[in-house]
Amino acid sequence: MKAKDYRSSLEPVWCNGCGDFGVLKGLTSALADLEIAPEKLAVISGIGCSSRLPGYTRSYAFNSIHGRALPIASGLKLSRPEITTIVVGGDGDGFSIGLGHIPHTIRRNVDLTYAVLDNGIYGLTKGQASPTSTEEFKRDRGLAGVEERPLNPVLLVLSSGAGFVARTHAGNLPHLREMFREAISYKGFSFVHVLAGCVTYQGPTYGESIYQRCDILPADHDVTDLTLAMEVVRRERFALGVIYRRPPEKNAGMGTHDLAAAAGIWPALGTPEAAREMPGE
Amino acid sequence: MKPPASAPAPAPAAPPAPAREPHRGTSPSLVLALVGSGGDGVALLGDLVLGMAAREGLYGMMVQSYGPQIRGGESAAIVRISESEVLYEGDQVDVLLCFRLRDLKRFQGSLRLHPGSVVVLDKEEAGEPPEWLGRTEEPVYRFPFARFEEGLEVEGPPKNMLGLGLLCRVLGWPIGLAEDAIRRRFGHRRERLQVNLEALATGLTAEDPPSRPAPAGKGQGLFAETGNEAIARGAIAAGLKFFAGYPITPSSEVMETLIDELPAAGGRVVQAEDEIAAMGMVLGASFGGVPSMTATSGPGLSLMTEMIGLSSMAELPAVIVDCQRAGPATGMPSRTEQSDLYHAVYGGHGDFPRAVLGVFDVVHGRDIMHRAMLISERYQLPVLVLSDAYIAQRRQIRDAESSRSPVPARTRWTESSGPARFDITATHGVNPFRVPGDPGGTYLAAGIEHTQEGNPTADTSMHHRMNEKRFRKLTGIAAETHDWFRTLGEPDAPKGIVAWGSEYGLLREWVAAHPEYRVFLPEIIHPFPLEAFETWRRGLAFTAVVEMNYQGQFYRYLSSLTDMRGVKSLTRSGGAPMTALELERYLAEATK
Repeated sequence: MKAKDYRSSLEPVWCNGCGDFGVLKGLTSALADLEIAPEKLAVISGIGCSSRLPGYTRSYAFNSIHGRALPIASGLKLSRPEITTIVVGGDGDGFSIGLGHIPHTIRRNVDLTYAVLDNGIYGLTKGQASPTSTEEFKRDRGLAGVEERPLNPVLLVLSSGAGFVARTHAGNLPHLREMFREAISYKGFSFVHVLAGCVTYQGPTYGESIYQRCDILPADHDVTDLTLAMEVVRRERFALGVIYRRPPEKNAGMGTHDLAAAAGIWPALGTPEAAREMPGE
Repeated sequence: MKPPASAPAPAPAAPPAPAREPHRGTSPSLVLALVGSGGDGVALLGDLVLGMAAREGLYGMMVQSYGPQIRGGESAAIVRISESEVLYEGDQVDVLLCFRLRDLKRFQGSLRLHPGSVVVLDKEEAGEPPEWLGRTEEPVYRFPFARFEEGLEVEGPPKNMLGLGLLCRVLGWPIGLAEDAIRRRFGHRRERLQVNLEALATGLTAEDPPSRPAPAGKGQGLFAETGNEAIARGAIAAGLKFFAGYPITPSSEVMETLIDELPAAGGRVVQAEDEIAAMGMVLGASFGGVPSMTATSGPGLSLMTEMIGLSSMAELPAVIVDCQRAGPATGMPSRTEQSDLYHAVYGGHGDFPRAVLGVFDVVHGRDIMHRAMLISERYQLPVLVLSDAYIAQRRQIRDAESSRSPVPARTRWTESSGPARFDITATHGVNPFRVPGDPGGTYLAAGIEHTQEGNPTADTSMHHRMNEKRFRKLTGIAAETHDWFRTLGEPDAPKGIVAWGSEYGLLREWVAAHPEYRVFLPEIIHPFPLEAFETWRRGLAFTAVVEMNYQGQFYRYLSSLTDMRGVKSLTRSGGAPMTALELERYLAEATK
């Protein structure tokens, strides 16, 4: 199968030059690489520009309601573990209205991939500030919340105990494709932070300026070192690549762990399974 | 009296209770009230007494009452045991066992003695039972439950087990029955077992206790469960495979029972981070073709409301059980009410079809879940089941459940049979369901308005036609459920009462004592079995709608469906189940 075999007949409604095109291409290419049958694939989203993406894939797709893609995807994956489940969405959908679901989905370690296209703005509602908009940007545009600091979503995801965390940007197709491939293959919850610009509400050069602030992680980056990962994501410049990858065999969870699966309940705190999940191991 | 212009007037405040023929110990039913402080274990005592009654082959039920803090504070258990099935705890107490007089205060209005009542108090209690409790002609019996040193209460043998021993004497039950009950409960904890058995023996040595022999049982053991357990087990029997929920009083035991029992039936339970997530998980599992449900109470239902709209819009089956509690916001979590009717029938933005069912009692809990799953899976929409605290946390003795088959699996799409997922011409608006994993069936499920294929659209005429298609489901449901109601009493009785949900228990007793009344109770509230209702109410000289909320929600809902002129609305909020004495008063007032 080729990448285009994972596309539905719908034409995207995104603006010309939108980073979402890159995400769609990177995702479908990765799915082709992994040879996942479209009928065994579910792509689930909430609401927002990037949340339109499931409709453009040939999959069991679900464009649900704002901020709630993770619980819906969790329900599917926990009851149909054989379905490859991918969640896509934007920074408003994921880090604002839906933020509360992130640590809990990680805590359950549901075996799904969550990709957030983070352009630091609400595009669909025409340019309001998002939780990742910089103070400087808000001041320049006269947006709400100038005094509110932006969120570091990757630090949040790492500190919640995610087993796989990667970052890429929408302008680097081969890297996107590779990160998606790695994330989807990972057994357990995986998170991909996709940096992008919004051509319409942040201007045509914003995306490029973000990409200029990115560095690919060095080849000798130790992906099993959580302390290092937390340091990396607090740097001024954006590190791209697999930032953290806990070996899956150390990775118990509802979606993967047989005992927990049988009981239907997360291992109680204090059990060896739960202890292995805690950040800092 | 003409129908109320705005809000139906709440029923008048309670005047002194009219005298009524008291229950006697020799009657086929016996009401025990057990009152104590948190830690006295009156709930456990009630539980054991009810379990022993079930072993004896007696019917009965137990309701608990506790303060807003839910744990700690005063607590009461009311147990009624009887030769035949009971769905109502009765109006007057035959045996009152109270460890501390001051704990009685909080139950003013819900407990009442009659001249033949037995009252058991602690030996150290100097006072007499309060005036409001009513007078018994029997002398108060005192027993040393508490142990004192230098005037202060110290830890002694468990009061509830002393009480159980004493009650065995009062009821004329063999000691072996109590010992078995204690062994079953504490068999795995040797020390507790020993302490409890010793206290039981001490209680049995009570000198010359009063006697109120329990009715004779069938000899063949019966089975006790709560409304929440019945809901959970009914859902499992109907084919439930996925549950997600969030703890909330008074529904939590639905989830707790499913944690224990659903995995063995091949299903999974998830405790979600909130009710929004719980309902989201239910829809995700249902999107995967898996029969799914959640259970909650009012505040949780409010949080789930957007998701319930999504369930209807994306045509994903889901069952939502709402164990109603009293009031908006936090209200009174431990109290019962029927005030979520509007929310269940109308709640949510935009137009969308859903079905709403009402539970009558514990036994009905299992049946209703079968019906809810059936409608939900067949018509691919949300079905709300309205229970309430009064049913949810009541423990009721019942006959064993006969096994039943699960509801039929939802009609499944195949490539050869394949209409579009949202084909607009489908009979009753329902198309075969496309299950992830089925080759060729990929589609977009969406909360956004969509075409027949599922693709997003802002076409205004398509939105209207899709509404028409989705609402056509209600026509199919109404035809299928036209006989989902119950009536009580003689069909030609001149007076009528319309009610729903847990009023059933009270009305069953009411009609047995008042043959001039007939009663209509819908099992399906929306779509309402209107034809049956119109047939039932022919020839009535007087009709009243009886319910437990402030606005008269059911009365007003019925008024939107049919002519309710001349029909009285007898409604009150407050949080305590309606009693027969109260109903008698309201009806007397209304028929004046």
